[in-house]
Amino acid sequence: MTGSRPGRVWALVAAQAARRGGRVSAADACVAVVAAVEVTGAWLIAAGGAEADHLMWATDEVSELLAELQLTLGEGPGPDAMAYGGPVLASDLDDVEAVRRWPLFASAAGQAGAAAVFVFPLQMGAIGVGVMGLYRDWPGPLSGSQLGDALVFADTATLLLLEAQDRAAGEAAAGSGPGGQPAGLAVHRAEIDQATGMLTEQLGVGIAEAFLRLRAYAYAHDRRLSDLAGDIVARHLRLRPDPDPCEDGQT
Amino acid sequence: MDGELLSETFVELTDTLVAGFDVIDFLHVLTDRSVQLLDVSAAGLLLADPRGELRVVAASSEAARLLELFQLQNDQGPCLDCFRSGRPVAAADLAAAATRWPRFAPAAGQAGFAAVQALPMRLREQVIGALNLFRADPGVLAPADIRVGQALADVATISLLHERSMRHSDTLNEQLQTALNSRVIIEQAKGKLAERLGVDTDQAFSLLRDRARVSNRRLSDLARAFVDGTETLTGPATARSRQRLPDTGQVPAS
Repeated sequence: MTGSRPGRVWALVAAQAARRGGRVSAADACVAVVAAVEVTGAWLIAAGGAEADHLMWATDEVSELLAELQLTLGEGPGPDAMAYGGPVLASDLDDVEAVRRWPLFASAAGQAGAAAVFVFPLQMGAIGVGVMGLYRDWPGPLSGSQLGDALVFADTATLLLLEAQDRAAGEAAAGSGPGGQPAGLAVHRAEIDQATGMLTEQLGVGIAEAFLRLRAYAYAHDRRLSDLAGDIVARHLRLRPDPDPCEDGQT
Repeated sequence: MDGELLSETFVELTDTLVAGFDVIDFLHVLTDRSVQLLDVSAAGLLLADPRGELRVVAASSEAARLLELFQLQNDQGPCLDCFRSGRPVAAADLAAAATRWPRFAPAAGQAGFAAVQALPMRLREQVIGALNLFRADPGVLAPADIRVGQALADVATISLLHERSMRHSDTLNEQLQTALNSRVIIEQAKGKLAERLGVDTDQAFSLLRDRARVSNRRLSDLARAFVDGTETLTGPATARSRQRLPDTGQVPAS
């Protein structure tokens, strides 16, 4: 098993941001994934925030149309991926199963020029920020390695969207990216998730905010995310709610 | 071996078409029954994530140290060897396996395990993960136990791959990702409940699981509702041991 995939994907996303000449964003992940996993186009839909679900980025007109079709019809791999909490891989929109499952979308998408659609939820446990959609103008499944890459691009877009949704935390976690994002979280992954859950209680915030605060604290104190999470789970450290300007934050 | 429990287990492991089937619950049945039926003290199940990692999805005990030991095998250990080769891997004496697995063997020893057996979750050419069985005492597992363990893993694999349909690998990949994300939700819920009740994450998991059983809900659904705040999980099953730590910045380890 290779531990280098996240690092490679971050490098591709950062290179795309550099070409564009801006700070790394979820849109860069959306652009970079197209060449990396050999699809025709890609789109990003932001969801779960204060605003209604909306199209954030599309790499071409067909992608834009596919995203908007699903938003208007309320039908297709995208809505299913959101509801199901996992990717929906429709490698042939012409097959009976796809047509039966999405009668309106399958035919409209076919007319638009899509033969296969793959949608990945942008999620981290109960944190959900949208979906990343990919399409091909030819049918057929993603290969194993393309699927692995697509999943890591979706993970990357998730982190970038989360930060964009919280500007303050985005500033604090500005070190994320190729250098700041630990590539192999696997071993301590469970502790990071547990610590995030604990912070919802300690700080009285939602799960997405708790994760951003965990990252911001790690960045501000120059600590590895996994070490910090370990200390929180072991109850060596508690975080406090933002200090109230008038009083010391007790409700 | 308890023959009645064994046949009951096979029924449970093939009964995946029932409404409300949950992969995580299903794999916990596999690890729990492995410990009840076989001469082992802990069992864990790792599935291969297409991202390029082996990830723990279920374990017979949620003790943090045990979970870490399973997860450590993303880098090295019997589970990784078993997954790569698609064949069973055994170490009858972990104390003598330090050259084979320099990080894993000592960590397993410290956690109180002396022997290990890994069995592949495999259907024809496709290996989707491995079942890991730990023993407190050195020695190989009896051949009969290995056969039963492999049969449990085989039946679970077949059931997983047949869930919904065998149309293409897309279905398995969709389901695997959903399961892995459910596992993350459960970890988040464990943390939140542990903090709320002042218990450890292992106890928090037991409470979540008990509550899911009593209310006949899928563990992952309950965990998500709790993390989202639509489920408070207060009441008789969780009212005990409400001993919050003082709200100071630093808390000494107790």
